[in-house]
Parts: sequence; C-alpha cells; structure tokens
Amino acid sequence: MVPISYYLILAAALFCLGMFGVLIRRNALVVFMCVELMLNAANLTFLAFAKQNGNLTGHVSAFFVIAVAAAEASIGLAIVIAVFRSRGTVNIDEIRTMKH
Amino acid sequence: MEALKQFFMTAPVEPAIFAQSLWLIIALPLLGAFVCGVFGKMLGRGNVHLIACATVAGSFVLSVLAFWCVSHVQGGSPVAMESVYSPNAIRYAIGYDYGTWFSVGTFRVNFGLLVDHLSGTLLLVITGVGFLIHLYSTSYMEHDDGYWRYFAYLNLFVAAMLTLVLADNLVLLFVGWEGVGMASYLLIGFWYTDAAKAWAGRKAFITNRIGDFAFLIATFLIVLLVSAFNSQANVANFTTVSGAAETAQVRFREGQQLKGPVAFQGLEVLANALPQNAEVNAQAAVTLQTPIAEGPLAGRTFGGVLTVALLLFLLGAAGKSAQFPLYVWLPDAMAGPTPVSALIHAATMVTAGVYLFSRMSFLLVLSPTAMTTVAIIGTITSLLAALIAFAQDDIKKVLAYSTVSQLGIMFMGVGAGIFWAAVLHLVTHAFFKACLFLGAGSVMHGNADETDIKKLGGLRHEMKWTWGTFLVATLAITGIVPLSGFFSKDAIFHGLHHNHLHGYESVTHALYYVGLLIAASTAFYMSRAYLLTFEGKRSPEAKIAHAHESAWQMTLPLVVLAVLSVVALVYALPLMPGRNGPQPVMENFLGPVFASAERIAGRADLVKLDHSVPGLGDYVFAWLVALAGGAVSAFLYMKYFPAQAGKPAPAFARSVRRFTQNKFYVDEAYEFLVIRPVKNVSGILYKLVDTLLIDTVAVRGTAWVTARVGSALRYVQTGDAQGYAAVMALALLGGAVYALIQVLQ
Repeated sequence: MVPISYYLILAAALFCLGMFGVLIRRNALVVFMCVELMLNAANLTFLAFAKQNGNLTGHVSAFFVIAVAAAEASIGLAIVIAVFRSRGTVNIDEIRTMKH
Repeated sequence: MEALKQFFMTAPVEPAIFAQSLWLIIALPLLGAFVCGVFGKMLGRGNVHLIACATVAGSFVLSVLAFWCVSHVQGGSPVAMESVYSPNAIRYAIGYDYGTWFSVGTFRVNFGLLVDHLSGTLLLVITGVGFLIHLYSTSYMEHDDGYWRYFAYLNLFVAAMLTLVLADNLVLLFVGWEGVGMASYLLIGFWYTDAAKAWAGRKAFITNRIGDFAFLIATFLIVLLVSAFNSQANVANFTTVSGAAETAQVRFREGQQLKGPVAFQGLEVLANALPQNAEVNAQAAVTLQTPIAEGPLAGRTFGGVLTVALLLFLLGAAGKSAQFPLYVWLPDAMAGPTPVSALIHAATMVTAGVYLFSRMSFLLVLSPTAMTTVAIIGTITSLLAALIAFAQDDIKKVLAYSTVSQLGIMFMGVGAGIFWAAVLHLVTHAFFKACLFLGAGSVMHGNADETDIKKLGGLRHEMKWTWGTFLVATLAITGIVPLSGFFSKDAIFHGLHHNHLHGYESVTHALYYVGLLIAASTAFYMSRAYLLTFEGKRSPEAKIAHAHESAWQMTLPLVVLAVLSVVALVYALPLMPGRNGPQPVMENFLGPVFASAERIAGRADLVKLDHSVPGLGDYVFAWLVALAGGAVSAFLYMKYFPAQAGKPAPAFARSVRRFTQNKFYVDEAYEFLVIRPVKNVSGILYKLVDTLLIDTVAVRGTAWVTARVGSALRYVQTGDAQGYAAVMALALLGGAVYALIQVLQ
C-alpha cells in the first residue's frame, strides 16, 4: 500500500501549481482551470485521508466539492463570456473593476 | 393747587400692577429695531420714521408712568416694594422679578427689573432725549439710503441703554452695557464704505472691550466676595442692618438663594452689614480688615478685594464713559452721524459709568482709596480734554472733548461722594450737550457739511433758531447764571471742596482748585466755538454763501432741549426741607437711593459727606471764574486775533497750538507704547504659531500624512484579483509556517 504521505505530497504539488497559475496567468479561462486544479488537489487529500481512516466522510466531501465546482465553473464561464462580450477581452489585467 | 398736587402724587396705575409691565419699556424699542431692521426696506421712509419714533415715544410714556409710580403717594405713604432681602420694604421703588434667567450650581441670575428714583430719572432722560433725537434724525437722515438700518440701530441702542438702567443685578446690567457698546459700534461705523469711519467704529469697539473685560473680572470678584461673606459673617454683622439681626441674616441668605449674589439689593445689604472697623461693631465676625478664610481669595481682606473690584469697575467705566486712559475712542466716534453723537456721546451711553457708580454708591463709600482714584481719574480726564479742546477746529471735535471733560467732572462728583450732584450734572449735561450736538448738526446741515469753525462765522443772522438754542446751551455748559449747567457743576465743586475722604483730605482740596481751572477752560473753549461759528462776519472760505435754517423736525428738538437746559436748574435749588436746613431738590429726591451710602459713610469716619448748601459768595465766585474764561475767549477771538483760516496764530502760541492740536500726542503714545508692541508680539506669534505650527505642522502636516498613507494603501486596493489572491496565498503561507512551527515544538 502506498503511504499517505505520497498522496499528500502530490496534492500539495498540484495545489501549488494551481495557486501559481491563479497568481500568474493573465487569461481568465486559464485562471479558472488552475482553480479547478487546486480544488482537485484538495479532493485528493480528502480521498487519501478517507481511504486511510476507512470511512465515507471524505468521499462525500469530494462529491460535494465536485458538484459545487461544476456549478461554479458554469457561472464563472458565463461571467467570462459576458465580460468578453462587453469588453472584448478576457485578460484579467484589463478588467480591474473591483476597485470602484 | 392742592388738587393738582394730589394728582401728581397719585399714579394712574397701581404701582404693583404696573411693575409687571416694566419689560415693555425695553421691548418696544427692541421691537422697533426688529421691524425696521428686517422689513425696513420694504416699508419705505415714512413708515420707518413712524415706527422708530413711535416705539421710543411709547417707551417714554411708559417711563413717565414708571416714574410716576415710583413717586406714588396714596393716602400719605409712598410706594414701597417688597424685597426678599429686607424686612422693611424698599421705599420709592417698583420692581418685578421675571424669574430665573440662568443658574449654575449656587450661582444664579434673575431677570429682574427695578425702577427707583435714580433709574427713573435716567429712564426719562434716555427716552425723552432719545425721542427728540429720533425726531431730529428723520430730517437729518433724509437723503441717506441706509435710513432703515440707521433707525434700527438707533432703536437697538435705546433698548440696550434701557436694559442697562432697568437691570436690578450686575449681570443684566452688563447685558445692556455690552448692548450699547455693540450698537455704538454699528452707529459710529454707520457709513462703513468710508474706511476712516469704519475704523473709528472699530476703535470704539476695541477700547470698550478693554474696559468690559475689567468690568467682568470685577463682577467675578464681587461674586466671590459675597460667597466669602456668606460663609464668614455672623449675626452681629447684621445688627447694623435695620430690623432684627437674626431675621436680617436669614433674609440675606434666602435672598441670595432666590436672587443670586449679584442683585443690587443684596449688595446693599452686604455693604450695610460690613462694618469698616471693629470699633463700630465689636462682635461682628467680618469687617473690612478681616482676611477671607477660604476660596480663591483666601488671605486677602474684604476691604482690599472690594477696593480692587471697584478699581476694576472704574476701568470698565473708563472704557464706556471715555475716561482717562480709555477716552481716545470718543473724539474719533464723531465720524458717525451727528444725531448719534448727541444720543450716544452726550445723553446716554457715556454716562453709564456715572450711573454704575451711583447705583453702587453703597460699595463705593466703603473704600476711600477707590473714591479718591475715581476723583483723580475724573480730574485728569477733565483737564486733559479741556486743554485739548482749546485748539480743535472741528466743531464736533470741540464738543466731543467737551463731553469727555464734563464726564470727568461727573466722575469727580462721584469720587467725592456728591452722588446727587453727579446725577444732576448727568441730566443737565444730557440736555445741553444734546442741544449743542444737534445744533452742530444743524449748522453742518445748513452749510454743506462744513465742520471747521474757522470757515463758518456769522451764522447768527442766517440760522436764527439754531443760533438761539446753541447760545443757551453754550451758556449752560459754560456755567452762566441762571442756567442749569452752572448749578449742577457748582454743586459738584462745592461738594468736592467740603467732603472729607479720610486720609485724602488734601487731595480733594487740590482737586477743587483744578476744578476751578477746568471750569474756566470750559468757558474759554465753548465761547471760542460759539463765537467763531455764530458771531463776526461770514468767513470768506465758507463753502456756500448763505446758510439755510433747518426743517422743523430739527429745530423743534433744539428748542425743547434748550428750554430743558434752562428749567433743569430748579433741581439744584435748595428748596426742599432737609435735616440741615434747606436741601436741593435733586438731593432730596435722590435721598432714598443714596440713603445706604449716607448711612454707611455716617457710621464710620472713612468718608464724611457734606450737606452744606453753597452760599451766595460761592455762587458769585464760581460765576466769576466762568465769566473770566468766557471773557478771555471773547477778547482774544473777537478783538485781538479773530483767527480766521489762513491768518497765522501768534508766534508764542504756535508751538503750544500744534502740540494741543495733535491732542498731546496721546494717540501716538498709545501707538508707541501699546499698539506697536502688541503688533510685534502678534507678528511673532503669527509667524511662529500660526504659520509654522498651525498651518504647516497641523493643517498641511495632517494633509500630508493622510496623502502619504493613502498613496501607500492604494496598492492594497488595486481591483486586481490576482493581487488579492497573492495576499491570500501569502496569508496561507504564513498560516502554514505557523502551524509547522507549532507542530515542531
């Protein structure tokens, strides 16, 4: 059996990849994908701990995360499309409306 | 005859009932000021005149009623007012307390009005002369655009002056005191588009403020003194107050609680209960020499604090009444319209100081030092102003300095304890000086605003009414028998000669001789002003060839005032039966007001008030002195050198004349000694405190810090989602590191 630390290191690596993607990439769609990556890293830890403890709580949490992520992705996509329609770009450097 | 006497001795209104309406006397002119000031422009000239004159006339009628009520004798007993302070009702006075005005802790001030013989007399003068001046103004200000503003101010002034006179406590008096100061500032600077006139208003205002500050401190001292007396006095102190001592003490305490420490009636009881020395009342816990046990004044004696307070009151009165060293504002105040000069500077405001000291005569006689100081200040002022008046060529300036001088004479009277004569001189002076000022206004009106007496001359035939009334008033102020000014002035000098201020006898005697010099000087410069204006030939430098007489609205007040300045002499004649033979009418009449002062002065030998009546010899002597002054003036200006403009003065007089004409350089001395240092200090303060500390450090510094902090914080709120995410990531990292450290430990 693979020790749990391997899963956790993998999850941490994935999370960091996702996080740096969120921080660095300019394209909103890629940022979304990186967010998915971070969510999946979290799912991986849930599942790893669930397997080790032998109960189902972790699985249920992972399903929740996937469901919520799906909903979020659809809404995020809709926002991105709306922004693209109104401004003709999905580059988040140029969409700094939060400061107002 | 008996029926007529009965009629005059019985007021048409029950005094107790009328007392409740006393506030109307103040409220009427105040209402007039409001209506004229707010709606004046819409109402038009005629209506404004009507309202302004009618409100003062209404006040006059009410004042007559008040005066009548004070002298009310129904069935043989005079009107008496119940007072919380005294078991014996105060006689010859009506008053009404409209309840608490404000109270702070144990300090309380009531809105109480009081009319006795003193304030009644002044009421009549203020509203009567005030009405005549209003009437005169309707013609004098005929062509002025700001007439509604003018009448609003004039009404406001009358209302403030009436408050001053009617107040039954020091604080309410101070309201009127400040009110007349403000109204005079508005009136002196009435033509505010002319910078010099606006400056004159400001000068009057500031000079008055200095005095008012002293007045306030003196009031606080009195409050402290009363509270110290409250805690230290015992029953024996009150044996000197009429009635049972225990009751008097209880009533004094009750009165303090009900009316506060600054009511005049309370101060009167205090003055009565404060014996001058232990010989008078051995059991008394408090005499003038007793140190105050506790409070801010601990260690000082009662007499010392009282003297200091009275001297501060003197400084306050010096500001309002234009006495040395604060008289400099009054001559400049001639910049205002001439009727204003007559109203403020002759009839009402400047006499406030004399009124204040007469009102507090009972305190004044406790301190011979203060009395002597008052008399000396009065003499210095009077002599100085009289000498300056010698060389003034502006007719209004001559009258202004003459006012300062006459007020000095009143202060001499007050200082020497001849209160009744000072008040009488106040009244007669109000008549003849108002007449002179209004006459000067009439002269200016008829001569295209020419004020230089050397460019007038010969008006005698062209302005008959003005000439006649001006002559009467000049003779009155000069002191020619049988005009009122002679008697009132002589009464003061006579009293000065015969009264004894313990320890200062030689001073009052010296002052008497200075007084004679003042009388001669007055005669000289007034004759000069009169002769140059009205006699001789018309000056070739006159602006217009022929002067014209003024309208009836202007001549009628002149005639009335001239008549009054003659008939007022009755009040100085010894016609009434008194304790020591016949007594002057005014002394008899004001007797109840000054009874306390009389009693206190009689109890100890600090002050000895004299009641002798001037004999024929005294009269003739005083008359000769005045006549000599006038004759010298007539000789010099009619025969020796009719100093018309252009003709130089003789060599010996030239340097003196320049010195006098520049008013002894008093203004320049002030400029050098006071104004320049104050300006320099304020310049430094401006540079250091204002520019550096407040502007640079406080104001601009705050802005700078805020801006810097803002620009630093700007990076926090960029609206950049990735920036926010980075912050979150950093926080996450921090959390992880912290957790790691915790785990490792």
